[in-house]
Amino acid sequence: MNDGPRDRYAVAIIGGGIVGLFTALHLARAGAGPIAVFERGFLSSGASGRNGGGVRQQWETAATVKLASEAVAAWRRFPGEFGYNPYFRQGGYLFLAESDDEVAQLDRVAAVVRSCGLPILRLPAERVAEYAPGIGLRSLKGGSFLGSDGTLYPFPAIWGVYEELRRLGVEVFLRTPVVGISRGEGGLLQLRLERSTISAPKVVNAAGGWSGEVSRLAGLDVPNVASRHEILATEPMKRFLDPMIIRLSDGLYLSQTMRGELVGGLTVPHPTGTVAGMPSSLAFLRRMGRAVVELFPSLRGLNVLRAWAGYYDDTPDGMPVIGEDPRLPGFYHANGFGGHGFMLSPATTRRVAQAVLGERTDLDPALFSPGRFLGAVRPGSVERLQPG
Amino acid sequence: MGGPTPLSFRFRGREYPIVGERGLAASLTGSHPPILGRSIRYHRPRAPFCGTGFCSQCLVRVNGVPNTRSCTYRPAAGDRVVSENGVPSVEYDLLGLLDALFPRGLDTLHGFRRPAFLRGFYQRVIRGLAGYGRPPTPGASAPVAPASLLDSDVLVIGAGPAGRAASTRLAAAGRSVRLVDRGPLTAPPTGVASHPRTTVTFLPPPSPDRPFPFEGSAVDERGAARLLRSREVVVSTGAYDGGLLFPGNDRPGVLTAEGAIQLASGRGDAPFERALLVGGEDRAAELIDRFGTHIAAAVSLSTFGPAVARRASELEIPLYPRSLILEARGRRRVRSALVRPRGGGPPLSLPVDAILLAHRRLPNVQLFFQPGAEMEWSGEVGAYLPRLSPGGGTSVPGLFAAGEAAGFAAGAESEASGVAAAEALLASASSAAPALRPPTVGTPSPLEGYYTELLGAASGRGKWILCACEDVLLSEIDEANALGYRGLEEVKRYTGVGTGVCQGRFCLPDAILLLSALERRPPAEVGYIRQRPPVLPTPLGAWAELPEAPP
Repeated sequence: MNDGPRDRYAVAIIGGGIVGLFTALHLARAGAGPIAVFERGFLSSGASGRNGGGVRQQWETAATVKLASEAVAAWRRFPGEFGYNPYFRQGGYLFLAESDDEVAQLDRVAAVVRSCGLPILRLPAERVAEYAPGIGLRSLKGGSFLGSDGTLYPFPAIWGVYEELRRLGVEVFLRTPVVGISRGEGGLLQLRLERSTISAPKVVNAAGGWSGEVSRLAGLDVPNVASRHEILATEPMKRFLDPMIIRLSDGLYLSQTMRGELVGGLTVPHPTGTVAGMPSSLAFLRRMGRAVVELFPSLRGLNVLRAWAGYYDDTPDGMPVIGEDPRLPGFYHANGFGGHGFMLSPATTRRVAQAVLGERTDLDPALFSPGRFLGAVRPGSVERLQPG
Repeated sequence: MGGPTPLSFRFRGREYPIVGERGLAASLTGSHPPILGRSIRYHRPRAPFCGTGFCSQCLVRVNGVPNTRSCTYRPAAGDRVVSENGVPSVEYDLLGLLDALFPRGLDTLHGFRRPAFLRGFYQRVIRGLAGYGRPPTPGASAPVAPASLLDSDVLVIGAGPAGRAASTRLAAAGRSVRLVDRGPLTAPPTGVASHPRTTVTFLPPPSPDRPFPFEGSAVDERGAARLLRSREVVVSTGAYDGGLLFPGNDRPGVLTAEGAIQLASGRGDAPFERALLVGGEDRAAELIDRFGTHIAAAVSLSTFGPAVARRASELEIPLYPRSLILEARGRRRVRSALVRPRGGGPPLSLPVDAILLAHRRLPNVQLFFQPGAEMEWSGEVGAYLPRLSPGGGTSVPGLFAAGEAAGFAAGAESEASGVAAAEALLASASSAAPALRPPTVGTPSPLEGYYTELLGAASGRGKWILCACEDVLLSEIDEANALGYRGLEEVKRYTGVGTGVCQGRFCLPDAILLLSALERRPPAEVGYIRQRPPVLPTPLGAWAELPEAPP
């Protein structure tokens, strides 16, 4: 760990979050040669250490439902495969609709999810409380529930993959920002670090909220936008809530961790373009307090223990960007996950690795390729089910 | 008062009288601090400890609301108070038997892996047992007093000597001053709007373009929300008594100085019979004044100051200078303490029923971190302090620091720093403020050498609890280090240290020193976790009702 990076790697991955780490793992297992991961902060300092831990399969696009189902299966296997158990708990996801438009959206989602063979339930308003006792929302018009969705604790997943990578000889450099990207001799891509420069034929941009900046370092104009989201945790209490709750109207999400804390946020996006500090705000705490108390009036006396913020990496169509950039051969995108990178990572990173290895992936270019923003392929449908 | 009071509250089927301003924990304390709960992970007995409402060791359920701090909560007539987390009771708890099956206790962090067939069972067990108390009973929260929006020229936070001095000077200069304090705030300075029993919970960075750049949230003891707006802020939030590492440091009977003072409030005698006092300076002398011959012996990690030495000789209290505290013994409460001279020598067992920690004061610095003031490590204090201009200005324009919170000594020096901060505020940046010695930065913490020696002398018996909120063990810090996790941010996430209900107040100061020793680099390089709002755990309802400032 004290040694600096060597001059050359087969693959250099920018970003040591779950997407970068899993990508490195798939590549190492496939024998891709020397691999380095460059993380600008400490382990889990970005969104991988700041998210709410939700894992859902309810989406408007069938392609995402399929990735999500594969991810659910992978999270179930995780404790057997790695030295840690992220406590993936399948307590379900309960979506709440309060308007006719939202009810229609849940109908569309339910149709897609059912077509993928998953037993999603569409609930009339009066049955919602069966899945979340104590809920007191008067404006409720309906809900949907899928029991195999769930929540996990992100950190053990990071530790598990991180420690496995080190056993496999992958070099993970923490506190090592990439400050420049250029085309070097022999077609290699060169990454400038603060103290040295390394080169690799293949580079993966898995920088999450920082991915727009990283692409721009390479001279690539991308539509990724970093937006700050806030989250809070309450003091831990005994079992109260099984599913993750999502309220469509304000994007509220709320679940109870294994430790007993309620953890949740809501969509008050602060699109800053790039990452700029991670402050919490009074406005968020006020809105979140109101939203939780409206949903569960009995929780008014429950203490908020802490609040924090992190960055989503948003794209115009709400779909991730996976694959080689046609403008810069050798530069691969694994970003734009819009707040859903962690949950989908076991599945998406397999495709990233396939792309890096030059294999065909099953991803529809119209939905996932970087080219869809460049007019290279016709863009496909848009994923509108963004919260949680 | 005289005669029995008709006002009482109920605890475990017994009626207790309400006496004056006495807090709930003090009201429940007889000849010893009562066991009020059990820790989650290892089911260790929990009794009042800090006396400030910071720690997690005296949480009880009051009228259906869990996690009420019994040390600061003042009981009302008819209150129903229960303990949580004990099976069948917190005094005689059987859940410890689970530890035979799961040696890592109820580990909600790292996840149970093998044997695989037990995974689901373990997960269900944890899910059933984690958490301090049951969720609030529907309809339990009392009606909340109306929220309010309060403006002033200057907001002064903390009404100790520094805050009072600053308020008085600022009011005399014609500024409108609002003084808030967590405590009763008796006899406020004249011409100052005062808010007793009110905690400022979150002070985000100021917005210089607004008429009131500072906008902070506060909550009073009934849970009523306040939005406080001001042009300038003086933070004089004082200090608290820190903890100390030794096996058994979480046993009932181990109390901080403030914890002991709070438990003894409203009574002439002491909430213990024979206490071991830890500390050699003014705070320790204060406890001798308060508890007299109930102090059976005093140990100092270094030397004894003249104040302690004089009082001890008057009362014939034996003094043990330069000593290591090796262990507190006793199953459900402290029965004895094992001490040993530093540098070597035979251990000595002292038969005591309490250990009073008066060896260090740690500054309350959350309200410097939150608005983004530059902080620097002070080895002398063993904590981070705001970087100060000569008058007491922080790096955040309009934010001033005074008193123990900024590293000044208690009493006269703190008072002078309050006046200096007020003068600097009034003088603005243009003119020279009176120079005042900023706290010393750069000397090593006296505890660094102490812990190195203590861990070298450790016999390895019993659990070393670094964090009593989450039962994080000292050995887990070593484990994280061995696995390659470096710096406080990573180790915090890996071990859970600093993530409990006390928000790291009692574990992080020690964790920084331990990591510094393990990683062989100065404490300042080990880093610090971002201080996350709120300053104290605050009800969801108080956030929901927080007024919105007019645009």
